[in-house]
Amino acid sequence: MEALDLEPPADTRAVLTVPSALARVAERSRPVALAGQQALPVLPCLLALLPDGLRRGTTVSIEPGPGATALAMVLVAGASAGGSWVAAVGVPSLGLAATAELGVAPERLLVVDVGPGSQAGTGPGATPVGPGRTGRVVAPATVVAALIDAVDIVVLGSRVGSSDARRLAARAREQGAVVVALPGRWPGVADLRLRVDGGTWELPHRVLAARRVAVTAEGRGAAARARRAALWLPGPDGSPAPVAGADTGDEVVEVGDRVIAGAPA
Amino acid sequence: MTASRGTGVTGPTRTLLVWCADWPVVAAGVASDEPAVVLHANRVVACSAAARAEGVRRGLRRREAQSCCPEAVVLAADPDRDARAFEPVAAAVEALAPRLEVVRPGVLALAARGPSRYYGGEVAAASRVREAAVATILGRAPVGVGVADGLFASLLAARAAAGGTVVVEPGATPAFLAPRPVSELARVLDDPVVVDLVDLLRRLGLRTLGTVAAVPAADLLGRFGHLGARVSRLTRGLDEHPPRARAIPPELVVSTEIDPPAEEISQLAFLARSLATELGDRLAGRGLVCTRISIEVETEHGETLARLWRHEGGLGPVELADRARWQLEGWLTAASGPNPSDGPTAGISLLRLVPDQVVPDDGRQLGFWGGARDADVRAARGVARLQGLLGPDAVLVPERRGGRGPGEQMGLVPAHAVRLGAPAATDDAARPWPGRLPPPSPVLVHAPSLPAVPFDAGGQPVGVTGRGVLTAEPVAVGIAGRAPVAVLACAGPWPAEERWWDPAAFRRRARLQVVLADGTAHLLVVEDGHWQVEATYD
Repeated sequence: MEALDLEPPADTRAVLTVPSALARVAERSRPVALAGQQALPVLPCLLALLPDGLRRGTTVSIEPGPGATALAMVLVAGASAGGSWVAAVGVPSLGLAATAELGVAPERLLVVDVGPGSQAGTGPGATPVGPGRTGRVVAPATVVAALIDAVDIVVLGSRVGSSDARRLAARAREQGAVVVALPGRWPGVADLRLRVDGGTWELPHRVLAARRVAVTAEGRGAAARARRAALWLPGPDGSPAPVAGADTGDEVVEVGDRVIAGAPA
Repeated sequence: MTASRGTGVTGPTRTLLVWCADWPVVAAGVASDEPAVVLHANRVVACSAAARAEGVRRGLRRREAQSCCPEAVVLAADPDRDARAFEPVAAAVEALAPRLEVVRPGVLALAARGPSRYYGGEVAAASRVREAAVATILGRAPVGVGVADGLFASLLAARAAAGGTVVVEPGATPAFLAPRPVSELARVLDDPVVVDLVDLLRRLGLRTLGTVAAVPAADLLGRFGHLGARVSRLTRGLDEHPPRARAIPPELVVSTEIDPPAEEISQLAFLARSLATELGDRLAGRGLVCTRISIEVETEHGETLARLWRHEGGLGPVELADRARWQLEGWLTAASGPNPSDGPTAGISLLRLVPDQVVPDDGRQLGFWGGARDADVRAARGVARLQGLLGPDAVLVPERRGGRGPGEQMGLVPAHAVRLGAPAATDDAARPWPGRLPPPSPVLVHAPSLPAVPFDAGGQPVGVTGRGVLTAEPVAVGIAGRAPVAVLACAGPWPAEERWWDPAAFRRRARLQVVLADGTAHLLVVEDGHWQVEATYD
């Protein structure tokens, strides 16, 4: 049979202009921002709390209490599994195995070491990270700002000052990134505040297997009405799960600070 | 500019190709008579001649390779090291003939026409080039030089030369290729799909390149798509991509002037990366992909180094940035080496990327609106920026390791040590770790551990006996000197004896999980009677 001419035509303009024309059409027909692009996905077990996902360009703070770090990781896990990059800055004691079990993709997690200074919290915002390559002193806020440009979610474990926080929030809004601040790290009022209300551990086989918690989310805009959900954080296999058939009422008994009297100090 | 361009000749370019055998092994500094294997992702990617004599082949698993040749030195694959070590060879050959292109570290090609006229024939040119290359690597590896029509045939000729020179006469290339096995295709088409294609062709009865060449090109295109068309061209002794008479549009050239001139490789690598991204965007906007690029650098004193790089699959921004870094690293290290005149004498003031050969991008299918790749590129750029800001080891990524403790199962490695976006794991990760705690793992692993004391009902510290039993049930735990908190539940202890065969590394520990009344849960560990909070289930 006759061999087909595999050589492209000498005049390849047609080949060249089609993709660029296509790009122009795509640009014109694309919505200003797709609904799916405004929010990052969350794990199905968090849909009761965040039905629209994690809105891009917002700040989230986790309130102090047991389970705060695990909640932060679960919050970012959905986006991480969906291809977003996550950076954890100033969390030197993050348990990486648990992070992976909770659903964060380890291959898209960046851990930035900002040195021991920031954990001590001496002079918020101005804590030097140590001399950079050029001998300059780099503040944590500079590192966080660079990370906001690079990744979709920054988990903030180092303290920032209130003026830095305002600038970082503006930068996150501009870049469409989300800042998730661990307890006590965000000086202002974040757009979304999450709280873990008490936890009860299950030890079915004489080993810690699962923890049942109630999580409350409240904030601005669509999140103004507080939502509550019961979760396994973590569930029996290490990954989070919704509590089946749970009435998100007041059934979770909080355990307070009880100190055993008479025990030696 | 290029020999293949503007001449109006449709045949493949006469190509002179230098092939250094087992380059990854040579670059690692291992003598060729010493058995060594280079592994990537637990597979052998290169081995020394001594290891090959013992039966080691490319593609074997680490364990298989070690069972063939237990005394082999095991080296990790490092493309940066390979490229850095290859730069002196490229420089030596470039002194004889300009406009050489580095196909990959260990292989370089140049148009044979100019040098063969200058040195009086292709055989003379080939042996001159070979002598220069052998002198540079001090005879540590066999160097083969092949001259044939097109890159593919000259690569096969250089390999067939087995440390000498082979010249395939003009027009004889199809006959030279015909008896060779189809698996040779995988040597130039660096694409995992090609391995499958070669396997399929073999099962279809097309075992040699000649039988594939006899199949009508249209049938191969119809059955295997663009890859089939490329295979057809290669087996018929043509260039992989049809030659183009079209000039590269000048707006595809990207450059940056560096003021003040830079000497730090991290800064230059960062600039190269952003240039590569810019070029990638411009090419993508035209639906093109670059298969050959000239990377040009210039110093403040006007010294220049231009090098051609080729990649048949097309050079994406990441590959471009890698090649620019290799070239700069090779040049900058030459300045501090034994022969400083080979290197630059001043800071780099100009960096320019000039696409030399572009073809319509018919390969990878990208997401219509741009997909996860965009995020990966952005993250890689951010990592480079932070490394420039804080130092190369400041950005870390998790790596699966293996171990019994909560902090040992995964560790952190500097981001530049692994491929970003690909799961990182050491060999230990896949091994069984009996005695390791089942999930869920603790979310906080304290480094260093916090001191702790568990108390029994009588207020006495609790211990673990030599048989791995608690001396008493703990009722309260005091952590880091604070007042003791009541224990709601406790689980364990799980004894862990590690390296009992090694008196220096022997460790005997026991772990205990406690749930405290303040809602926290901790993992306590006792060693030599001292309790510590190793991790917290936050």
